[in-house]
Amino acid sequence: MDERAISLPVKCLSCNEQLTTPIVCDGCHTLYPVPQSADFFDLLSIPRTFALDSESLSRAYRSIARQIHPDTFGGDSIEARNLSTRLSAQINEAFATLRDPVKRAAYILEIAGGPSAIEVREVPGTLLGEVMMLREEIEQAQKSGDEAAMEKHRETITTRREDTLRLIADRADALWEASDEDKKAFRVLLNSIKYFDNLLAELQADPLAAGKDH
Amino acid sequence: MGEKRDIIIGIDLGTTNSLVAMADEAGPRLIAGDAESDDVIVPSVVGFDETGAMQTIGTSARAHAIERPTTTVHSIKRLMGRGFADVEQEIAALPYRVEKRDAATDRDMAEVVIGARSFTPPEVSALILRHLKQRAEKHFGHPVSRAVITVPAQFDDAQRQATRDAGQIAGLEVVRIVNEPTAAALAYGLDRKEDATIAVYDLGGGTFDISILRLEDGVFEVLATNGDTHLGGDDFDNALIALFAEEIRDQFGVEITSPTIKQQLRTLSENIKKRLSDRDEAQIEIAIGNDKVYRKTITRNAFEQMIAPFVIRTLDACSRAMKTASLTPGDIDQVVLVGGSTRVPYVRKRVAEVFNTKPYTALNPEHVVGLGAGVQASILSGIERDVLLLDVTPLSLGIETLGGAMGKLIAANVKIPCQASETFTTFKDGQTNIKINVLQGERELAKDCRSLGVFELGGVPPMPAGLPKISVTFLIDQNGILNVSAKEQRSGKAASIQIIPSHGLTRDEVKRMEQEAITHAREDMAAHHLIDVRTTLAFDLNKVESMLHRHSSQFDETEIEDFRQRIAELRTFAQSCDDPTKINERREAFNHSTLPLAERAMTAALSGSVATDDGDNIQAPPSN
Repeated sequence: MDERAISLPVKCLSCNEQLTTPIVCDGCHTLYPVPQSADFFDLLSIPRTFALDSESLSRAYRSIARQIHPDTFGGDSIEARNLSTRLSAQINEAFATLRDPVKRAAYILEIAGGPSAIEVREVPGTLLGEVMMLREEIEQAQKSGDEAAMEKHRETITTRREDTLRLIADRADALWEASDEDKKAFRVLLNSIKYFDNLLAELQADPLAAGKDH
Repeated sequence: MGEKRDIIIGIDLGTTNSLVAMADEAGPRLIAGDAESDDVIVPSVVGFDETGAMQTIGTSARAHAIERPTTTVHSIKRLMGRGFADVEQEIAALPYRVEKRDAATDRDMAEVVIGARSFTPPEVSALILRHLKQRAEKHFGHPVSRAVITVPAQFDDAQRQATRDAGQIAGLEVVRIVNEPTAAALAYGLDRKEDATIAVYDLGGGTFDISILRLEDGVFEVLATNGDTHLGGDDFDNALIALFAEEIRDQFGVEITSPTIKQQLRTLSENIKKRLSDRDEAQIEIAIGNDKVYRKTITRNAFEQMIAPFVIRTLDACSRAMKTASLTPGDIDQVVLVGGSTRVPYVRKRVAEVFNTKPYTALNPEHVVGLGAGVQASILSGIERDVLLLDVTPLSLGIETLGGAMGKLIAANVKIPCQASETFTTFKDGQTNIKINVLQGERELAKDCRSLGVFELGGVPPMPAGLPKISVTFLIDQNGILNVSAKEQRSGKAASIQIIPSHGLTRDEVKRMEQEAITHAREDMAAHHLIDVRTTLAFDLNKVESMLHRHSSQFDETEIEDFRQRIAELRTFAQSCDDPTKINERREAFNHSTLPLAERAMTAALSGSVATDDGDNIQAPPSN
């Protein structure tokens, strides 16, 4: 577990109640800008771990969203309303990032000080050859309209993606104490997901839907 | 959280019909025109006179659409926030005049021209909003100044801005813009607090929306939205109209050009569509001049074949929405139907097929959005504290990059409020301005997306090219409306932003229109008043004239001559004077002077000394 302390104003400056999240007071609904040191886990007041269950994540998100959404600050000052809009945008980004396992893993790597996708572009050694072969086969199946072959490819790639994701999940929570080398290896694994996603998009039956998705 | 505030009303500003709702502790209710009637629907139709003065709104305006096609404005929502070029095709189908607005040379906007006056679409919408506002004020007995207004989920930033502008012109602060399907879900879900996944299928007159929501612990979370701002029941009507026009041309060699016949065809087609909802066939008969009559029988089957392509487009959008939400039909617990066009049985059948569940039809599909607007109003005014709405942005937002590509900053279907930042720099030494073309849409090239406008960053410190770093934050608020702020990173100073909307009004224009709307309303009211006063005077003068005639034996010659002369003078005066107060004063003085005459006439009539062949024409002038 990460040991960084976040600089919470421990008590609400307005009503002196204990704060349970860094951005809003449970008691009097006073809002606070996001502290520099707070990360997405802090914002949602959830444990800093990859192994989140999506139910409790959603519940945490809804509970905070309810307290800071601009609709609940309709009668307050323009400053409070603007702050609630900005905080909501940040909470929404936090939730969207942590809900998606790939984005969550990448985010943990980022706050654990690992390399970004721009700094390390490598993918696992055998992946490029594998992807090239798959792409050729997909193109052929598309040309001949071989639905069965397409479906088979879809299954294969989905399985490969899931397997990779499992490796990522296994290593993610060790990132806080991991060596630079391990962090780089983790980034390499993460990079391979993008290749699987691109292949799956190519297999997309409805090109219009594919366009709207990303 | 807030002291006691003034009331917030909820408005469904529709292409065809509009409604106004209120909410209190007892829940949301639609407001009817008067206490005796339960008619809550206001047709979104504005009737003008030939000079462009507003005459009627709603049902009475719609009633005159056939006889006054060129001065009756309907479907104005289709023009909201759009450029003239965007809507040229639709304009061809409109019987009233729409032109390119030349008051704004830097922008592409349309305006409605009636007589000597012209109106931008927000100004016409404002007339409808003002009517709804007045309806609510009459209900409450005090002024109302804040409103929630619903828009199609697929409305872009310009269309949302235009709606907000319309509110301001009507004297309403639009505290929230809510997506129509989301509002419908609020109305649907209010009584059912259990968790569920809901699909809202909203097929209105001009737009189609599909939204999928998750309702959990009183939070309505939109998972995905999709749709088409140019698909609706009007397309069903147009298919019928096109068929009739074609057959009339083939059978009689007549091209339909008259706005009156066009409007008549439209009204007939709408009625046929409605009749085919509970019958297997419907006939029409239309006189096209020269004793020629066009007759046609349409079967439900034929009608369904005609509308199938449109319905299939809606079903494709449903599939895309489910895909975005990573759901399958089995995950959808309930399908809620919204919009008048969902009364068409074929639509219901196909929707049931695609979601594999029977749609929920207990709510009136034409009322549900208005009710939902009322729910949202009660959330904002703090009456309803258990419910919260978390919506998404319908379209991707981006900027035009070098080479004319669309550089996406915020993806479609992302929860709002949301924000993204981008750093900009200069290309020339000493450059102090940077222009950014902001786009919305799903296409790869900037020219295929909608331009929201050009944002001009000013006050960039003069430096060698590439050195200034201006960080621009694009924030989409809970209304789905874009707010942009900029900061020069070296100096930390906020950079100024000037926005030139592509199809919208500037802040100054909206302010001016708000003033003008009040003046116009006064002018229109004054014009109306003047006409009323003149009519009353003419009525009184005729009455006296007729009395003088019928009871001539009771009066002497000079008396009669004197009155005739004064009547003639007053008639001339009424035409030349445009001050209703002066006309009224003269009328009252004149009526007063005729009192003795009337008394004599009455006495004579009662004593039977006069033959009263049609004595009921005699009326005493008002005695006060």
